[in-house]
Parts: sequence; C-alpha cells; structure tokens
Amino acid sequence: MVNENLVKDVVKEPYKYGFVTDIETEKISKGLNEDIVRLISQKKEEPKYLLDFRLKAFKKWQKMKEPDWAGLGYKKIDYQDIIYYSAPKQKEKISSLDEVDPKLLETFDKLGIPLTEQKKLTNVAVDAVFDSVSIATTFREELAEHGVIFCSISEAVKNHSDLIEKYLGTVVPASDNYFAALNSAVFSDGSFVFIPKGVTCPMDLSSYFRINSGDSGQFERTLIIAEESSSVSYLEGCTAPMFDTNTLHAAVVELIALDDASIKYSTVQNWYAGDEEGIGGIFNFVTKRGKCLGKRSKISWSQVETGSAITWKYPSCLLLGEESVGEFYSVALTNNLQQADTGTKMIHIGPKTKSTIVSKGISAGNSINSYRGLVKMGTKATGARNYSQCDSMLIGDQASANTFPYIKSQQPNSEIEHEASTCRISEDQLFYLQSRGIEFEEAVSMMVSGFCRDVFNQLPMEFAAEADKLLALKLEGSVG
Amino acid sequence: MEIIEKIKTNKSIDNLTEIQKFCLDKLESTPLPNPKSEQWRLANKSKLSNFLDYSVNEKNPKFDTPFPNTSQSNIRLVIGDNCLINVIEENYSIKQLSEDKLVKYIKEQISCFNQNENWSELLNLSLNSRKNTLGLKINGSEIPPIEIFSHASSNSLNAKTLVIFLEKNCDIDLLQVNLGKDNSSLSQSTFFCLEENSSVNHGVVSYGENKSNLLNSLNVIQQKNSEYNLGSLHFKFNYARFEIRIKQSEGNAKTNIKGMQITKKDEQISTYTKIDFNGPNGFLDQINKSLADDKSHAIFEGSIIVPKIAQKTDASQLSRNLLLSNLAQIDTKPQLEIIADDVKCKHGATISQLNEEELFYMRTRGITLPEASKLQLSSYFQEITSFIPVSKDRWDLLDKLLNEN
Amino acid sequence: MQNKMKESDPILEVENLSASTDNLPILKGVSLTVYPGEIHAIMGRNGCGKSTLSKIIAGHPSYNITNGDIKFLGASINSLEPEERAQSGIFLGFQYPIEIPGVSNLEFLRVSTNARRKFLNKEELDTFDFEELVKEKLELVKMDHAFLSRSVNQGFSGGEKKRNEILQMALLEPKIAILDETDSGLDIDALRIVASGIKKISNTQTGIILITHYQRLLDEIEPNYVHVMSDGQIIKTGESNLALELEKKGYEWTDNFIKNTK
Repeated sequence: MVNENLVKDVVKEPYKYGFVTDIETEKISKGLNEDIVRLISQKKEEPKYLLDFRLKAFKKWQKMKEPDWAGLGYKKIDYQDIIYYSAPKQKEKISSLDEVDPKLLETFDKLGIPLTEQKKLTNVAVDAVFDSVSIATTFREELAEHGVIFCSISEAVKNHSDLIEKYLGTVVPASDNYFAALNSAVFSDGSFVFIPKGVTCPMDLSSYFRINSGDSGQFERTLIIAEESSSVSYLEGCTAPMFDTNTLHAAVVELIALDDASIKYSTVQNWYAGDEEGIGGIFNFVTKRGKCLGKRSKISWSQVETGSAITWKYPSCLLLGEESVGEFYSVALTNNLQQADTGTKMIHIGPKTKSTIVSKGISAGNSINSYRGLVKMGTKATGARNYSQCDSMLIGDQASANTFPYIKSQQPNSEIEHEASTCRISEDQLFYLQSRGIEFEEAVSMMVSGFCRDVFNQLPMEFAAEADKLLALKLEGSVG
Repeated sequence: MEIIEKIKTNKSIDNLTEIQKFCLDKLESTPLPNPKSEQWRLANKSKLSNFLDYSVNEKNPKFDTPFPNTSQSNIRLVIGDNCLINVIEENYSIKQLSEDKLVKYIKEQISCFNQNENWSELLNLSLNSRKNTLGLKINGSEIPPIEIFSHASSNSLNAKTLVIFLEKNCDIDLLQVNLGKDNSSLSQSTFFCLEENSSVNHGVVSYGENKSNLLNSLNVIQQKNSEYNLGSLHFKFNYARFEIRIKQSEGNAKTNIKGMQITKKDEQISTYTKIDFNGPNGFLDQINKSLADDKSHAIFEGSIIVPKIAQKTDASQLSRNLLLSNLAQIDTKPQLEIIADDVKCKHGATISQLNEEELFYMRTRGITLPEASKLQLSSYFQEITSFIPVSKDRWDLLDKLLNEN
Repeated sequence: MQNKMKESDPILEVENLSASTDNLPILKGVSLTVYPGEIHAIMGRNGCGKSTLSKIIAGHPSYNITNGDIKFLGASINSLEPEERAQSGIFLGFQYPIEIPGVSNLEFLRVSTNARRKFLNKEELDTFDFEELVKEKLELVKMDHAFLSRSVNQGFSGGEKKRNEILQMALLEPKIAILDETDSGLDIDALRIVASGIKKISNTQTGIILITHYQRLLDEIEPNYVHVMSDGQIIKTGESNLALELEKKGYEWTDNFIKNTK
C-alpha cells in the first residue's frame, strides 16, 4: 500500500507568490452603480462610445442572474463589497520604465518577470498588469517596426480607437453571460494586440496579471486581432497574494483571426488557491472566446490551470471561416478544496471546420474537477470534424472528477468523436518505477507529467518547463 | 392545471388510492417538469403537451393488435387485461404480489422521488388504477420466458405499471412490449427488484402505430451478485422518452445495457439513463445507438455516478449516433461523476453518417446503394437486437425497422 | 501475338482522363487501352495518381472527372454508379480492403455475386447453392471456410484481406480487374497464392491491370505492357522488361523522362 501521508506531503508546496507589495494605491470607493461605471470611464479618459458600451453592459448585468448551472459551491459574492478600480499611485504620465515605481519593478522581478531594459526576458515581450492598470510593456519599439501593436488596452483606446470600436465586444457580447456583462461594465485594463496582414510576430507576446489588493476585483480585458496571413503566440500568466478573503477575477478575452491567420493563446494560471481549509483564494470567472472569422484561420487555446479557489472558464472557438481550425489543450489540477469547472465550446458553423479537444483533469484532496464542454455542428458545417479526449486522474478517495460533454449535431456530413476515461496512479506503476531506483516523488510527478504530455507539448517551450515544475510542486503530498 | 383536473375526473378511478393521492399532491404544486432542468431542457414542448392532450378515460380497453402467436413454452401477460397469474410448478412459482407488499414497495420508491427527475413516475402513479398495475413475485429455476404487454388505445392516455420482484437465485428471460395505437399516449412505469444472485435478460420493445406517444420509465434495484441485462428498442413514436434508472444498492453487481432508438419524420425520442453505484465492484457496460432521419430529433443523456464507496467500479458507456438527414438533429451527453479513485470508467460518443468507404466498397462489388445502406444499418442494429431476449425472431423486428417508413 | 489480340474490340479505354478531388488536380491526361487477354502493369511512386486512377474507374464519389472519358466495352461509364460498373464486370481489388463490422462475409459475398449474376441473366443463387460455389472458389485462394462466418475483412490479417479480395474477384468473374497493390503486405507464400489465383481467374477474354511498386508480383504474372506514372500522367510505356529496368535503375531514372517531355 502506498503511504498516503507521503503522498500528501508531495502536494503541499507553499504558494510562492503570496507576498503583498506595500505600495500606495489609488482606490475608488467600494460598490457598484452607474456612477462608479462613469467614474472608471472618466478616470481612463474614454471616448463616449466606450462609456455607452459600459453603461449598456451595466444595465444588462443588473437584469441578469448569477449562473448556478455549474453547481459550484461558494459563498455568495457581495458585489457591493468590491472595489472596482485600484491602481498604484504614480506620476501622471510615464514616459519610460525609469519612472515606474521601483517597488513595482521589484514585484515583477520577484515573480520572475523582470521588466527593466537590462534584465528583461530576451525573447518575449511582456505587458505587466498590476491590479487595475498596465505598468509597462516591453519591446514596444521593436514590435512597432513590424507593424505589431502591443500595448495596454487603455492605451489602445487612446491611440487605436478605430480598432477598439470595430472589434471590442464582437466576440464576447456584453450580454453573453453574467460575468462578461460585469466585466464589460467595469473592465480596467488588459492587453491589446494587433498583428497586421502578412506579419509573423517576431517574438512571443505575454501579459502578466498580478492582483495585489485584497479587496479589489480584477476585471481585465484582452483583445487580439490577427489580420490576414498573420500569426502570433501569446502567453498569459497570473498570480496573487494570499488573503483570507476571496478576490473576484472576471476577465474577458476576445480573439479574432482573419483569413489564414493563426493565434496561439497559452495560459498558466496560478492565482492563489486558498489554504487547505479553503479559506481565501481567487474566484476566477473568465470568459475567453476566439472567432475564426477567416478562411483557414486557426485559434489554439492551451491552458494549465493550477490556481484559484474556483475556476469557471471555457475558452471557446467560433469556427465561421471555411476550413478554420479550433484547438483546446488543457491541464487542470485541483487540490484541497479547489473547484474547477472548465472546458471549451467548439461551435462549428462553416464548412470543413475542424476542432480538437484534449483535456486532462487531475483532482487531489477534497477538490472537484469537472470538464464541461460543448461541441456543436451547425447545419452548414459540412465535412466538419471534431475529436475530443477528456481524461481524469484521481488522487486519493476524496477528490471528484466529472465529465459533462454536450454534443449536438445538425449536419449529417460531419463527424464528432468523444472519448473520456478515468485513471489513477496505480501501485503497480509506482512500484515499477520505484524498483528502478526512482524516488517516490519523482515517480509520481513523472506519471502526472506523462499524463499531461499531450497538452504540455502544445505549450511554448519555456512555459512547458514551468508548467511541469508547477504541477510537481502543486501535487506534492497528494498521492495515496 | 388541466392535467390534474383530467386525472381527478377519470371515470375509471372511483376512489383515489393512497398512492394516487400522494402523487397527485406532488403534481398539484408543480404539474409539469421544469423545462429548463437538465432532464427536460431538450424535450419538445409541444410534443410533451400533446402527450397530455388525450382523454384519460379508457374508451376501448380491449386491445386488438394482432400479436404474434404465443408459443406453448412462453407465458404471456397483458397489463390491464385481467391478468391474474398464479403459477406454482415444481421448480418455480410466479405469483401475484400481495397488495400490501406492492403498496409498500411503491411507497418506498416514491419517498426518494424528485419532482423533475421522477415526473414520469409521478404522472404514471397518479393516473393509474389497481386494474392497470401488475405486480409479480418470481422464484425458482427453469422458468419459461415471459412476455408482458402494455398498450394505449386510440385517442386516450393510458397508464400501466409493472412491479417485479425477482427472488434470490432466480433467473428469467422477460420481454416487455409497449404498443401505442393511433393518436395515443402510453405512460409505462416499471419497477424491478433483483435480489441476491438473481439474473434477468430484459427486453423492452416499444413502438407506436401512428402519432403515438410514450413515457417509459424503468427503475431497477440490483442487490449483490445480481445481473441485469437490458436490450431495448424504441421506434415509431411521435414522442417517446425512455428513462432508465439503475441502482446497484450494494455494488458487486453486473449491468449490461444495449439500447437503440430510431426516429424518422418529425419524431423525437430520447433516452435518459442514470446508473448509480452504491457499493464496490460494480460493473456496467452500456451502449446506446440512435439513428435520426428526416426532420427527427434523437437525444441521449447518460450519467454514471460513482461515489467514494464504489471502489473498483468498472463502467463503460458508449453513445453511437447516425445522423442521416440534413434536417435531423442529435444531442448526446454521456456524463461521468466520480469520487472514488480506484475505478475504471470511460465513456465515448460519436455522431456521424453511414461510413462512405464501406458503402463504396460494397458498391464496387455490385451491391446497390440502398442495399449496401441496408446491410450497414442491419449490422448497426444487430448488436442491439441480438441482445433482446425471448423469441424476438417472431417479431421480425429487423424487417420492421428496415422496411417501414 | 499482340496484333492478334487487337483484332477484337478493347475492354477498357481511358481517354485523356483528367480528374480532381477537392479542386486539387490528381490526374492530368491519362490514356490507356486494354484489350482482351492483356495484362497491364502500372508503376510509379506513392502519390503519382495510380490508386486514384483505379478508384475513378470504379466510380469513387470523391473524384470529379474534369476532362476525358472512360469507356468500358465501347460505352462511356462516367455517369454509372459504382455498383452498376461492378455489375457490368469492372472489378477493383482494394489496396486497403475496408473492414465492415457486423456484416457477415458470406452474406456480403452472396449479395454481390447475385447482383453480378442478375446482370448476366444468370440464375440467382440461394444460400445453399451459393455455399457450394463459394467452397469451390475458396480452394483457389486457399482460404478456410471459417472466413465466411466472420465480418467482412474485420480482424483479417493483411494477407487474409488480400485473399478475400481475390475470392471476390473469382466469384464476380469480371471482364476487367484492376488490382491496386494487391501484392503489398504479403509474404512470399501468400503472394504466390494470390498470383496463382489471379492467373486462374483470368483468360483470353479478360483484361487485368496490376498496380504495383515492385517487381516481385510481375515475376509471378508477366505483364504485356508496363506503364510508368508520375504526377498524374503516364510518362513511359514499354514491355515487361521496362519493369526490370525500373527495378534496377530506380524511379530517379524515370524523372529524366519528365524533364525530356517538358
């Protein structure tokens, strides 16, 4: 019999990013009403169309009900007890990184995302978001030479207003769901990417989201547009300090790919998950969706979800363009009292569209890990194909793994194939590895990472290594 | 609500029984299932309301569909047709379930009913009279095959209830046939209790004649070391819904299910299954096949529930679907809910049309397209129909399926 | 000898045939004529279009004929369904015979044999008579009776599948048989069985097209003509020694022909 405690120890690595940066912040008062929405818009000096967009979304949100279909158990969120705008105090206009508060730079240094010219990562351009605002974006000039726009969304509103007005809310309409409506009303910052026709983005782009304040929600918004025959790989990372209260994170991500364009969006989500008793942690209610508008366009989501107390997230693809391709590769790991309800929607609208779903759920402790996905073949999706594979690994007899695939077809000349299985790390396998001289922890993490291999293979290289390590850390102590 | 009134004025019911009262009570607060709930969200609203349109007063209880001749070796019972049975042979006995035991058992079941999930049973039990309830207690060995018929007559809504206790170490083949006449609705609820070491090959064949509806619910409780094999076939209904709920009360039991549903025209047939493993070492092998043609809609929703207590469960569920027309649609949702860690569970689903390469291959051998399709369909059906017990050959099911429109 | 053959009318005439799938041109003007008693071999690299040619002759629905014609016994067959072509005597031996789970091999063979017999105005066979016929033909390919009760090609080894193809050919008695890489995946014994089966079935009234990569099948069955295909065209035609030369010099050698023709 495998030593249960030994395994528990393996999963119990303390959260490395739980520190708080002591910095003076500008916060608006708690609560949400029309005035707050106007105030946020005003602070960001937004044009009227954006204020109208926010107000309309707010009106819709007021009429909507918080969804309960995922069956997630959590304390009711008091939306009037949240601060909707929080920003580190700094000089009005920052012209260079030197003017950024060193404490902020230090924070990102500590998180492994150095921003300064001397230290910045060489092959990745980073947009660093701290609470409600974007602090800095690296490699802007280099990218501009290629015509690539990479900046905070607030900046894009000022400098590329035509693109924002044209595309914002076209993939995730404000009325899409409760949290998307909330985000549309109060979103603070986020990243904006525009890749012009024919350009292959010369480096990976990355946004790093840091929640610092305990009482403010984070509502960022990301918009990525890839014009004809362009391509980009985008990475997203997130951490937050440890608080014993829950922080709400309700982001919206919209991707648009035109003819022959391709967008690869990778996430390593490591928000604070709460402690062993389930106190604290981030409520991660995110709407991510990509629209394959053009012929042969491709949107690929890959995600490693290890953090948050609750995750509610379904990165999806609307496959409109003929022969467009949607992909979803996911690893979701839950431990202790974490709850993850994640999956994807692949909506096949255009002919010969293809989608692939690979989801790996690992549940340990008393956690609940659910895959929820929708594959739909519309009436015009002739020759469309989908393949889905959803595997769950259970660690310990208290964790639960659920699979809820919704599959719908209205097109006879299309094919859908879904497979799911459940397994655990067997004693035989562990024994076999151990008998070859491999340490117990090593053996467990080898098997978990083997289980996730198909997904890790999809991640950009640096990310894959990081994800592997992260998983090993998170899992320490949970195999029985 | 209309339906409540209808039930209350049902002439064939003189005095409401305790069970009827109880179920009516439950229905009175919420007479219809919640259309937004998982179990009912895909149900065609107008078809479901059409189900309730017919009169609950039985006009023509005599059933005149020509059954295939019964063979000497079979026992045939028709629910509602004065079917009193009391057979005591050397090796076995088939007895009428006593009134007390029947009521007690149904009450037990009702106590864990959920308004939405068990709406079909609540409707059935509130409509039903003693006359249309058959309760059997079966015991012994070398029992001849049994056929049980339920039917709805034209222009009426009939409810039939079947309760079967299979005693320890007992082993039977049972074919249940549900028939709907023109413009009719049949509410059939079956309660099956398999005691230790018992085993049953259960066939359920349901088909309608013209514009008929069916709500068919099947509740099975399996005790230790029992084996339940179900082969089912539903076709030719304007609206049909087959609900299967199986509980392995202590685990350590075997369940095999092979189901098939065929929809044409604008029919809707759905199958809901819920398999609950309430103990360790349970086994399930399930396959549900559907075929949707014309403007029809086929639905399958299955859930497998494996709680912590159900270690070493081995469960597999497959949903295979053929979509043959541009206007037809198929929804399928095989779900797993697992807490135990030492289990083997898998499920799969496919939706496609007939395999083109297979068809081409047959055509290059001179077999015409319709013939090749027929060959393919019959092999598609074969796996299911061969699992239906009791002289199924006499029913020419395959021919019926393949040659009727 | 060849002139004598050509006194009769051709069985198959492929005239300047071009075809595409998904708007992708695969065949770019192929011409080929087969007279009774002739054996033709078509060779070429993977993807040169030789398998496509065979599928188009059999009427595969995925391909569109964009130009040219296919005539069988003097009449165009372009508008015929695959089953009509099969019934009239065109046989395609598949490179990868399709597995059809659940459909019994015996039933499949009987239905197809009867479809052909009906076309020939022969009496259709009942199960009993058919079993007699099939038993006799099984001998040809040295197959066990047990194969009949299994599903079509399901779980058959590579060699068994190919022998099942030849069994079908024996039952259908085609006017022309196109055998697509019937030799691939066979060991030498199985190859001999298949080759001798083909020889026994063919006669002076039938035509055979062998599609192959290798010489070894042609060692067993000597072709009258060898055609080399490349990029959707027949780039060289010769007699049986062309295959030997090809075997020796490899396909690079044939690349020169393309350059020359260009």
